[in-house]
Amino acid sequence: MTLTETNPPAEAVAAGDDLGPPTGAVAAGDDLSPATRASVPQWTPPTGLARILSSGDYLTVGRMYVAFSLLLSGLALALGVLIGIEKADIDGGFGVFANSNELFQMFGLYRITLILCGLVPLFLGLATVVIPRQLGAGSLAFPRAAAAAFWTWLVGSIAHIAATFSYGGLGSIEAGAARGQSVELTVLSLGMIGLGLLVGSGVVFTTLVTQRPPGMDLLQMPAFSWSMLVAAGVWLFSLPVLLANLTISWVDMRGSDAVGFGAAEVPFEMVAWAFDAPQVYAWTIPLLGIIAEVFAAAHRSVPKLFEPMAFIVGAFGFLSFGAWAQSFFDSADPRAADAHVVTDEVLFTVFALAIALAVLAYGGWLAFNAYAAGRRPEITPQFALAVVSGALLTLAAVAGVLRVAEPALGVLREADGDIWRGFFDAMDDLEGSSLVTGMMSFAVLGGLLAAVAGLFHWAPRLLGRPLSAPLGFLSVLPLAGGAILIGATDALSGFFDQPARPYEAGNPPYGPGHFDEIDALGFVEAMNVIGLIGAIAVLGGLALVAANAARGLVGMPTAESDPGEDS
Amino acid sequence: MADIVVGAPLAAPPSRPRTLLVGTVFGTAASLMYFAALLGVYLRERADALSGGGDWIPSSADIQLAQPTVAAWTMLMSAVTMQWAVYAIARDDRAHALMATALTALFGLSVVVMTSFQYTEMGLAADESVAAVLIYAISGSHLAMIAVGLVFLLLMAFRALASQYSSRQTDGFVAASIYWYAVVFVYVVIWTAIFVLK
Repeated sequence: MTLTETNPPAEAVAAGDDLGPPTGAVAAGDDLSPATRASVPQWTPPTGLARILSSGDYLTVGRMYVAFSLLLSGLALALGVLIGIEKADIDGGFGVFANSNELFQMFGLYRITLILCGLVPLFLGLATVVIPRQLGAGSLAFPRAAAAAFWTWLVGSIAHIAATFSYGGLGSIEAGAARGQSVELTVLSLGMIGLGLLVGSGVVFTTLVTQRPPGMDLLQMPAFSWSMLVAAGVWLFSLPVLLANLTISWVDMRGSDAVGFGAAEVPFEMVAWAFDAPQVYAWTIPLLGIIAEVFAAAHRSVPKLFEPMAFIVGAFGFLSFGAWAQSFFDSADPRAADAHVVTDEVLFTVFALAIALAVLAYGGWLAFNAYAAGRRPEITPQFALAVVSGALLTLAAVAGVLRVAEPALGVLREADGDIWRGFFDAMDDLEGSSLVTGMMSFAVLGGLLAAVAGLFHWAPRLLGRPLSAPLGFLSVLPLAGGAILIGATDALSGFFDQPARPYEAGNPPYGPGHFDEIDALGFVEAMNVIGLIGAIAVLGGLALVAANAARGLVGMPTAESDPGEDS
Repeated sequence: MADIVVGAPLAAPPSRPRTLLVGTVFGTAASLMYFAALLGVYLRERADALSGGGDWIPSSADIQLAQPTVAAWTMLMSAVTMQWAVYAIARDDRAHALMATALTALFGLSVVVMTSFQYTEMGLAADESVAAVLIYAISGSHLAMIAVGLVFLLLMAFRALASQYSSRQTDGFVAASIYWYAVVFVYVVIWTAIFVLK
C-alpha cells in the first residue's frame, strides 16, 4: 500500500476541534514551571461515601437504584402484609389500624411504594446498568442528570414515606377531618418521585436514541433496550400528567381551606389512575424485554421475528397509556342519564380487550421462538421467574377482560337472558370489586418478578459475578407462589363483591356490620388469609433475593475497572 | 494492494450524536403533556360548572383580557427573536446571536412581570373556587416554565460567549429554541383557554 498523503493543514485541525479545550488554556498550562506545578493543589477523586454520593458512574447509579428499590419494594410488601392481616377478619378486624383513615393512607402508600418506589426504579436501575453495554456506549447520555434523577427519586421516596407516617398521606376519608400535618409534604414528595423517574426515563430514552453505534437502527437493539425505549416513551406521557394532578392538589392546599382537589380523599383520587388499568400495565412494559432476553439465553438462540415482537411491545405500550382514564374526566354527577364515567366507556373496554390480545400475541411469539430454537431450555432461576412473570401478566390481562366483561357482553344479555343469567350475575359489579386489586397485583408482581429475573440474568454485569443458582431456585418458589396467591385470592373474592378499597369513610375498618354487600363472608375471609400467606411468601422470597445479591457486593467492579464484556 | 489516492477528500467525520437536542425534545414533550393535563382538568371542570348553570369564574374577580393579550404578543415576539438568535449563530454572527438571546430573555421577564401584576389586580383568592385553584396552578406552572427557559437561554449565552457554538455546532441554540417555542405555544393556549373563553 502506498501512503503519500501528508498531515492536514493546521487550520483544518483547529476548525474541526471546535469543541475541544481552548488552545490558549493548553498553552498556558504548558508554560507552568515544575515548581509552579508542584504548588498547584492536585484534585484527588473522592473515596468511600463521598464517591458514592457524588458519582455519575452509570454502574454506581444503577446499583443504587437496584439496591434501594429492592429495599422499598420490601417495605411495600410489609405494608401489604399489615393490610392483609386487617383483611383477614372482615367482620371483626384485628385492630392493626386505629381507624379507616390510617388504613386508607397505608393503602395509598402501599400502592405508591410498590410501583413508583419499587418496580419502576428497579427497571430504571437495570436499564442504567445494562443499556450502555447493550449499545456499546461508554456511558449514559447525561450521566450527571441520571445521578440527579436517582437522588431526587430517593429523597422523594424517603420524604414520602416519612410524611405519610407523620399523619400525612394523600388526604383523609374521615368526614370533616382537618387536613393532616404532612399532607402537603406527601404531595410534594410524590412530585419529587415523579420528577426523578421522569428525568431518569429521559436519560434512558436519550441514550437509546443517540448513543447507538453507527449502523445499529432501533430495531436492531436487543429486546430489553427496545422495551425500555417504549416504556420511557409511555412514561414520558404519563408522569407529567401525574405531576399535573399533584400540582393542582398542592395549589388547592395552599389556601386556608381546600375547595376541591386538596380536600378529603381527593388527592388520592387525583393520582389513583396511575395504579389502575390501563396505566398499571405501562409500569410493566420492560417485563416484555426481559422475558425475551431470558428466553433467548435459556434456549441458547437468537430471537427470531424481532420486528413483530417490537410491534407487539409498541402496541402494548400504546394501549397501556392510561392518564386519560382518570376519574377527573368523569361527569360531575355520575348518576345522571348522560353521565360520562371513564370505566364505563367503550374505549376503556376496547383497551382492556386489546391489551389482552397483545399479551396473547406476545405469548405466541415466545412459543414460536421456543419451538424454533429446537432444544429444551436450560432451567435457571431467571428462566423460571420469567415464565412465572409472563403467566402473571397473562392473568392480569384475563382479570382485566373479566372486569369489562359485563358491559362488553351486554348485547348477549339482551339476546337471551335465561341462558346467560348466571354468568352475568357473576360479572355484575366487578368494577370496584377486589378483582381490580387482583389485576393490579398480577401485573405489578409480574413486573417485579421479571425485574428479579433480570437481576439474575445480568448479575455478572451488575455485581461482578453471577448470583447463586441454588439460592435463586429457593427464592423462586415463594416469589412465584406468593404472587399468584395474592392476585388470585383478590380476583376470586371480587366475584363475591369484596370491594377493591378496603376502607369505608366514617366507619372503623372491618368492624361488624360493614361491607354487608360481601357474599360468602367465610369464603372471602379464607381467601384473604391465603392472600396474606402469599404476601408473607413474596416478602420472604424478596429477602432471599436481597441476601443473594448482597453476597456479590464485595469486589464489585466500577465502570472504569469493568472489563467490558458482551451485551 | 489498493493505493490511496493522493488529494482525495478525507472521509466525513462520524456524525455527532445530537444528545442535547434529543434530551430537550424529551423534556419539552413532557412539559407539553404536563400542560395538556392541567388544561384537560380545567376545561372539564369548566364544562361541568357551566352545564350546571353556575358561574365558572367568581363574579367578584376581575380578569381583564388586556394584560394577557399584551403578554401573548410579547411571547410571540420572543419567538421571533429566538429564531433570530438561531439564524445568527448558524452564520457565525455571535454578536447578533447574543443580542437576540438577551431580547428573548427580556421578553420572557416582561411576561413574568405582567403576570405577577395581573395576580395583584384580578382579585381572585386561591381558596375561593375551583376555577381560582386551576388558574393559579396553570399560570403559575407557566411562570416556572418561563424561568426554566430563562436559565436555559442564560446557559446557552454563556457557552456562546465561550465560543462553544458556531455555524458548525448550533445544537445548544436549536435546543433552547425548541423549548422556548413550547413556552410560547403553551402561553397562547392558556390565553385562549383561560382568558379569552373565561
